[in-house]
Amino acid sequence: MKKRNCSITKIFLALFFLVSVVLPLLFMFAGLFSIDVGEILRDASFLTAVLHSLQVSATATVLSVVLAFLLAWCLTRTRVKLKGFFSAVLLLPMLIPSISHGMGLIILFGQNGQLTKFLGLDGSIYGFWGIVAGSMMYSLPVAYLMIADILRYEDSTPYEAASVLGIPRRSQFFSITLPYMRKPMISVLFATFTLIVTDYGVPAMVGGKYNTLPLMMYNEVIGRLDFAKGSVIGMVLLVPAVIAFIFDFVSKDTRAAGFVNRPFSIKKSPVRDAFAYFLLVAASIVIIYPIVTFVGLTFNKNYPSDMTFTLDNIQSTMNKGAGEFLLNSLIIALAVALIGTALAFACAYLTARVKGLSSKILHLISILSLAIPGIVLGLSYVLFFKGSLIYGTLMILILVNTVHFFASPYLMIYNSLGKLNMHLEDVGRTLGIGRGRLVRDVIVPQSGGTLVEMFTYFFVNSMITISAVSFLATTLTKPLSLMITQFQQQMLLEASAFVSLLILVANLLMKAISYIVRKIILGKGMNRYARKETV
Amino acid sequence: MESLKVQDITKDFDGKLALDGVSFDVYPGEFLSILGPSGCGKTTLLRILIGLLEPTAGRIYLDGKDITHAPPDRRSMGIVFQNYALFENMTVLRNVEYALKLKKETRGTARETAMKMIEMVGLSEHVEKKPAQLSGGQMQRVAIARTLALSPDIILFDEPMSALDVATRLALRRELKKIQKTTGTTMIYITHDQEEAFALSDRIMVMNAATIHQLDTPEDILKNPADDYVRDFVIENLAEKTASLLKYNIVRTQ
Repeated sequence: MKKRNCSITKIFLALFFLVSVVLPLLFMFAGLFSIDVGEILRDASFLTAVLHSLQVSATATVLSVVLAFLLAWCLTRTRVKLKGFFSAVLLLPMLIPSISHGMGLIILFGQNGQLTKFLGLDGSIYGFWGIVAGSMMYSLPVAYLMIADILRYEDSTPYEAASVLGIPRRSQFFSITLPYMRKPMISVLFATFTLIVTDYGVPAMVGGKYNTLPLMMYNEVIGRLDFAKGSVIGMVLLVPAVIAFIFDFVSKDTRAAGFVNRPFSIKKSPVRDAFAYFLLVAASIVIIYPIVTFVGLTFNKNYPSDMTFTLDNIQSTMNKGAGEFLLNSLIIALAVALIGTALAFACAYLTARVKGLSSKILHLISILSLAIPGIVLGLSYVLFFKGSLIYGTLMILILVNTVHFFASPYLMIYNSLGKLNMHLEDVGRTLGIGRGRLVRDVIVPQSGGTLVEMFTYFFVNSMITISAVSFLATTLTKPLSLMITQFQQQMLLEASAFVSLLILVANLLMKAISYIVRKIILGKGMNRYARKETV
Repeated sequence: MESLKVQDITKDFDGKLALDGVSFDVYPGEFLSILGPSGCGKTTLLRILIGLLEPTAGRIYLDGKDITHAPPDRRSMGIVFQNYALFENMTVLRNVEYALKLKKETRGTARETAMKMIEMVGLSEHVEKKPAQLSGGQMQRVAIARTLALSPDIILFDEPMSALDVATRLALRRELKKIQKTTGTTMIYITHDQEEAFALSDRIMVMNAATIHQLDTPEDILKNPADDYVRDFVIENLAEKTASLLKYNIVRTQ
């Protein structure tokens, strides 16, 4: 690949983002000029929804982040065993749609819920606390992952120095821990809040009469076909995501790469470890219990009262078309994984390893999708692509998911390419090895592990997503995740349990394959991460 | 007759001069060190010599032929970087033979040539290892073998030993001189280490602030430093290092 080819690739990618991100959003913006936005904004039901969204999201965010912090702390700063197992369980909720979490709550705590009867509750899960509980379930793994990373990379040497100087523990917390954690924790709060405030799956299930913004947007667009009102709500939903994006962008971590930090040596403390075990086991039960219920509902005649094993539920769900929708989901997820990984790699190669102003611009555009909630992106696609060739086909679902989930895998490969030796291309040029060849024979093989992770990320998220695709799917192209709403509305609990389970199994399989492939790649003796810093 | 002629090379980075009209000749088979502090323009000069950077002005001739705008792989030059820049996913053997296998003329003899080069740098026992399994000194030997394999007329070194410990450095130094004797390759060697420059070079070029202060044999530089800068940066520093060794009778005066 010559310099000219790099420019051609850049132009192609720029055009891609222009058509798939910039133009749809601008089109949606432009639509707002022809309507009376003020009237919608002053509308009482709209204001109530704003208030509800803020209240429920703020509450769920704080609770979720506090809990995630405690759990992350248990897994990084104590001597509990089975850390890998607990960590995997904490991430399980990421493998099923948010709507399934809402459904789990209904099955357990709803009016006829199993635990409602068992514990003698009144079944008032619908509303504020129901949404908070479902949102926590849904956002906990994301918050946990981010916080565990922060704790894992905290340097222990300042604490050792402070101890040597005789600075008491409490002062250490205020003078070392807090300054280090402040910025990343604000990022976690923003990210979690954005995730919760833009989700409609949980409120759709357990919201009851408690209307939130995404739910209102969904009902306006799907129910009343009021795209104008939908766009206004979409714009409002962009605000928190954009604020989070800008905060992350300006407070970017400037610590030098290759910074070596010392891990914490964890002292013995049976009390602390007992507390950690208690918390981890409790969290694991809360996470696994709904999944066990899904299994029970799927394979038993009338769970939990009649535990006779049966395949009838599966049979009847398959008769309702679950097979075709699963196929849709798999086609979408695999296509998104393939196209997304290739595009993200191409982008990251240009931004991480070819210098210049255009690289910086491309980088900014690549991470822009972090600031666009799926539900907003989906609506902008409806408005922009209506009447085009891809509208109503699987293609548009593949496109919207690729764009929606682009930023995270892009950043994974961007970071990993940035760590490769900066002189590889120079050496290639002096040895007469073309850029394309070098990418194929040297860069890609060294990025194998990351590429597999990216593929998995695209796949799993395409399997569980309901936001961006909800406005775009037709009865023929509908992915499996969207069936859960439909079944739930028809009170087919067994069917929605089975569908949730199908998605979970597909994602677990993908994760397992990804794990094995990465093991094989890294086992080939090219594990450059294993090498010590000493030369 | 010189083999490389550098004429009035200037490099301007957005108004900041990295090289200000630099001219010098390099003779066939010589070992020339470019000595200077960081930021003096020596790495920029090296990148221009091999064609990774375009000069703002000036010309470069190789054996009388103008190569100022020739692509890096058409200059019969090779380069060895401080951080090795090996292909981590390939074995030592693959690293050395990879470029040979891509060219029609060398494809047939690639394996043979690669093995010979690996033997020359003393890594025959390690051909099947990957870079991650080697020490820093060994990795730099692989980089040297990879460069030698294309039999360039000139090899450029960009501070190749800065990341190595002293013992490895001394061993590699001896080997480099040996390789030069066997192959007769011209070597241009960038360093900020006075002692290294004096130990290795036929001639030393002292650079500072985008210009050449002096280009002479080590002996002439010591006897007739061109200006205060050469005296301070080269001779004073060298004297201090030697003095500390003399103090503890580690080396004896004759």
